[in-house]
Amino acid sequence: MDAAASPSIDRKVERVISIRDLHVSFGSNHVLRGFNLDLYRGENVMVLGKSGSGKSVLIKCVVRLQEPDSGHIDVLGQDVLALDQEELDRLRVKIGFLFQSSALYDSMTVQENLEFPLRRHWITTTPEETDALVDEVLTAVGLAHTRKLYPSELSGGMRRRIGLARTLILKPEIVLYDEPTTGLDPITGKEIVELILELQRQYNTSSIIISHDLHVAKLAANRIALLHEGRNYMEGSYHLFRDSEDEVVKRFFVFM
Amino acid sequence: MEGKVGSGIRAFLHETGELSAFAARFFRNAFHRRFEWRELIRQCTLNGALSLPLVAVTAFIMGLVLTVQSRPTLARFGAESMLPAMVAISVVREIAPVITALICAGKIGSSMGAELGSMKVTEQIDAMEVSGTNPFRYLAVTRIWSTTLMLPVLVVLADGIAIWASWVGVNIKDTVTWDLFYRQVFESLEYSDFIPAFIKSYFFGFAIGLVGCYKGFTTSKGTEGVGRSAHSAVVVASLLIFILDLIAVQVTDLMGLN
Repeated sequence: MDAAASPSIDRKVERVISIRDLHVSFGSNHVLRGFNLDLYRGENVMVLGKSGSGKSVLIKCVVRLQEPDSGHIDVLGQDVLALDQEELDRLRVKIGFLFQSSALYDSMTVQENLEFPLRRHWITTTPEETDALVDEVLTAVGLAHTRKLYPSELSGGMRRRIGLARTLILKPEIVLYDEPTTGLDPITGKEIVELILELQRQYNTSSIIISHDLHVAKLAANRIALLHEGRNYMEGSYHLFRDSEDEVVKRFFVFM
Repeated sequence: MEGKVGSGIRAFLHETGELSAFAARFFRNAFHRRFEWRELIRQCTLNGALSLPLVAVTAFIMGLVLTVQSRPTLARFGAESMLPAMVAISVVREIAPVITALICAGKIGSSMGAELGSMKVTEQIDAMEVSGTNPFRYLAVTRIWSTTLMLPVLVVLADGIAIWASWVGVNIKDTVTWDLFYRQVFESLEYSDFIPAFIKSYFFGFAIGLVGCYKGFTTSKGTEGVGRSAHSAVVVASLLIFILDLIAVQVTDLMGLN
């Protein structure tokens, strides 16, 4: 399915993330220089940009894995930068984060990886309930047979799927994807994107997808925001980007 | 040259400051109402029970060698009968706490540095944090508590094993009953030998856990950084053990317990 060809998101729907005038720097390297972004409920926004442009830093700021120098981040009506640790932990449960490396706990089996967030937040009260939820997400990602395996026994694509399952097990309202297809072959990458779209429909999530992969943009993004030199360079649909004559935008399409 | 010395001193002071801040963070979280009991028990089992075989073998060799090597010197002064007392006091006051702590710094400190360092560079600690779990409380607090609580237990076991090995050493040339040996040992030992050693082993355990977790949590630069964290966790923890031992000797001396 081509997300860009699907009906556009009605802007009257609730805004779930609002980022305003975000500045982040590492020493003298000013990575984000006043970046702005909105995400509406049910929408997939892709942040496009070349490697090292600060895309991952942007979503790390949303969950406060990275403290910005200045700016404002509002998630589900809460000012993220003003929250104390307890409030932040409660908010983080509503935000899923799929890491580029999948970040599975390598000392735990797949089942223990999936049970971990459930146990931490008392989402389930009985082992039967926990089992049922683990079964549900493993079936959703098509890996019901991997329960007893360790992450080291899984392929890159399988790890990404289990990472997705672990993200979705808490039923988040928003999912942040950090380079979901990087390091995967084109076929597995396409399968992951299709899975993301399928799970978005099933779990009714809104997403920010960080990538430089234009196939992801074509298949999954309702809207694309181009991050260039720390600022919003261009925003619009995949078709708008594809037909653009702008030199910076065209450079992304050269190898397509 | 001056520049190098200056930057070395600055790096040392910076590291000391960071380690102190990490320790302060531990104390702020050490008694949190959402304490990770399950993980603490798992860590105590891992760090305590799994270190026991190595500690036991080392303690046995330590007691045996100390006895066999001290014997000729004591025999020269006709003081062979003092052997049980000498070994017991040496082992209980100094040798068992310091050697056990150094073994644990090597075994537990390095494994903590490597495990947490690897979790850091593969974003597993970040993943824990974004899932709403405080990784410091879950990973660091439980590990530091586990080494603090388990080291004194290991030291007491090492004391027992080393003293038994000493009896074995005495019996290589003589025949001394365990009952007689045991009585001589306990007649020579006082609470002032045992208590300061027991207390300082809590500090040694705390230092091992603290340094291992600090090095793991501050790992950077990929797999090379993991190796460096494991290595420096052992070096810094061992150095801290000697510094703490030096302080403990001065304190017990001031208190008139030496």
